[in-house]
Amino acid sequence: MHELGIVYEVIKIVDGFVKENNLTKVDTIVLEIGQLSQAIPRFIEDCYPAAVSETAYKDTKLEIISLPANGKCKLCNEVYNIINHRKICPKCNGEDFTLISGQEFNIKEIVGY
Amino acid sequence: MDELKIFTINKNIHEDNAKVANETREILKSHNTYLINVMSSPGSGKTTTLVSTINALKEEMKIGVIEADVDSDVDARTVQNAGAKAVQMHTGGLCHLDATMTRAGINELGVEDLDLVFLENIGNLICPVGYDTGAMKNVAILSVPEGDDKPLKYPKIFSKVDVLIVNKIDVMEHFDFKLDLLEERVRKLNKDVLIIPISAKTGDGIDLWVNWIREEMKVR
Ligand SMILES: Nc1nc2c(ncn2[C@@H]2O[C@H](COP(=O)(O)OP(=O)(O)OP(=O)(O)O)[C@@H](O)[C@H]2O)c(=O)[nH]1
Ligand SMILES: [Mg+2]
Ligand SMILES: [Zn+2]
Repeated sequence: MHELGIVYEVIKIVDGFVKENNLTKVDTIVLEIGQLSQAIPRFIEDCYPAAVSETAYKDTKLEIISLPANGKCKLCNEVYNIINHRKICPKCNGEDFTLISGQEFNIKEIVGY
Repeated sequence: MDELKIFTINKNIHEDNAKVANETREILKSHNTYLINVMSSPGSGKTTTLVSTINALKEEMKIGVIEADVDSDVDARTVQNAGAKAVQMHTGGLCHLDATMTRAGINELGVEDLDLVFLENIGNLICPVGYDTGAMKNVAILSVPEGDDKPLKYPKIFSKVDVLIVNKIDVMEHFDFKLDLLEERVRKLNKDVLIIPISAKTGDGIDLWVNWIREEMKVR
């Protein structure tokens, strides 16, 4: 499954950061996931416990911030959710937009000591 | 107890993958090995196309294949019988290969003496294309029975590949597949893609595909 691989990747990156900065405990991992990224937050949450179960992060919490698939209309500058509006600007019916968010898959921060 | 602190990371999950993929390309270049990533739905003819390709090229170069499947090793044995050096990777349920898994396959295969290596990715039109494997070129195979509407439904893979092979043209008459309609839909997503209709079964069109490989390897 796609999401499991992604969670392993997250753990790998967090682990690298933990070692580099000599942290002793990670309380929370905060992810930012865009609506257009290939990962679905609910599935990430579902497979997270299994992915961390035999690692140093088995008690670490996971927090996911969902980022909307927002586009900015090239005609009238309206910012709108391109999924909800099927890519068409609700203000002027324009079809040309610049994507401003939605493709992210970032590890935003970790909380620990 | 120590006080909790927030450590900002702001790191894209694919950043590490891109780094490993770029390293892989450097390693392959140092051995003069050309890596082609082949992606498609299950059963569209990846293995059969590779067998025809190996047969057409094995007299002039040494070829390797990294087979990736969720389970079994039938594909690795098939391409081995055709004359390629092969390894089988098992992804344990994962739906794509990333750069780290590809590197493990390359290490296991041993590419020092190989000129050309194919990566037969997991049968899946969605996930593999999101990951740079470290290949020099990316190829998708769409087979006639799958239908000419696939670029509408799975645009990402069609927008990202260098070559689109349309396989199983020998059965075209039994399906309502329109090659020109497919091309029109693909060009909207990817105007530079090379589209090569073939039949991996009869060998029709394989020469065009094999010539493309020869030319790409010349300028590598
Ligand atoms: N008629 C016809 N059948 C083909 C052609 N190419 C492949 N096939 C058949 O299609 C089936 C699947 O082919 P494979 O090469 O195993 O497909 P694959 O993409 O490697 O499949 P997976 O590895 O399972 O994803 C086999 O029965 C092949 O014989 C072709 O050009 N024409
Ligand atoms: Mg196969
Ligand atoms: Zn507008």
